Amino acid sequence: MPAKQELLTHLPTEFGGLQAGPVERVEHELEPWEKRCHALADVLDFHKIINTEEKRRGVEALGAELIGKLTYYERWIVAFANILFEKGILTPDDVAGKMEEVAARLGEARPGT
Amino acid sequence: MAEHKHGHGHDHDHDHDDRDHDRAAAGIGSGDYVPGYFEKLEMSIRELLVERKLIGADEIRRQIEVLDSRTPALGAKVVARAWVDAEFKKRLLADGRGACEELGISFYDDTGLIVLENTDDVHNLVVCTLCSCYPRPVLGLPPDWYKLKPYRARAVTEPRAVLAEFGTIIPGDVEVRVSDSTAKVRFLVLPKRPKGSENFSEEKLAALVTRDSMIGVVPVELK
Repeated sequence: MPAKQELLTHLPTEFGGLQAGPVERVEHELEPWEKRCHALADVLDFHKIINTEEKRRGVEALGAELIGKLTYYERWIVAFANILFEKGILTPDDVAGKMEEVAARLGEARPGT
Repeated sequence: MAEHKHGHGHDHDHDHDDRDHDRAAAGIGSGDYVPGYFEKLEMSIRELLVERKLIGADEIRRQIEVLDSRTPALGAKVVARAWVDAEFKKRLLADGRGACEELGISFYDDTGLIVLENTDDVHNLVVCTLCSCYPRPVLGLPPDWYKLKPYRARAVTEPRAVLAEFGTIIPGDVEVRVSDSTAKVRFLVLPKRPKGSENFSEEKLAALVTRDSMIGVVPVELK
């Protein structure tokens, strides 16, 4: 199938039927933040804030490059941020401000200091 | 590494500012661990949602406990029961979720479960081509290979080749059926009971059943 046509028939998260290399049986114990991220996804679903299908579409909306470069839970947390912005639940400024606060609490120098 | 082991996903109470508390919660003990950008993003989103009372402070911690309580041992218990109890097996194949709940396995994620029986004529394989849907209430979290491109891409078009990479050779006269999971419907393979296990207790049978056999990539074998 021509490459442009394949872009249409297979959105970035639709892998079924594509060519790929051998299966490597990799697995890893989740890092604490990854497990928290998973639990956050479940809790957001319980509260009907973000459901599984919205989450998947949120990942798809990141586009092929980010999907290819971010790890699984990195994709999830970025998708959550974007979906929460879209729904008007949080703003980018809210998150940026909180990230600075978190960094300061963790003892990181602020940029420029 | 962490000097003191904290529960994963410790929730934060920011009425008291406690840096060590946060560092421990983030898995930091000796000070050589610096949370990356995405971890800080996770912390920030979670804290904002808690501050705005959209989620409860304890809910994340409780859900982590739920996640930690789900392992393939639950699925193995279901499989072993089906092997020794024909009536249970009937109910399991008719209503996967209902039969699991009968054994005390709760479904926290509002998903249905279809149990697929392997026989002498049919071998079942489960995949999620779109992402990573998986019967988490009965198997826990999926392995990385299940979520990565090679398995998801190829399981639906060349399942026999994929199975061979797991060391599983399915004879040509056995049908291979691949089931693609969705957000709402998950699949669990009921593997074939291995020959030579006729006199095994239910408990001993359960010990034979591996996670991968319930995804359908390997058979259950006597140890």
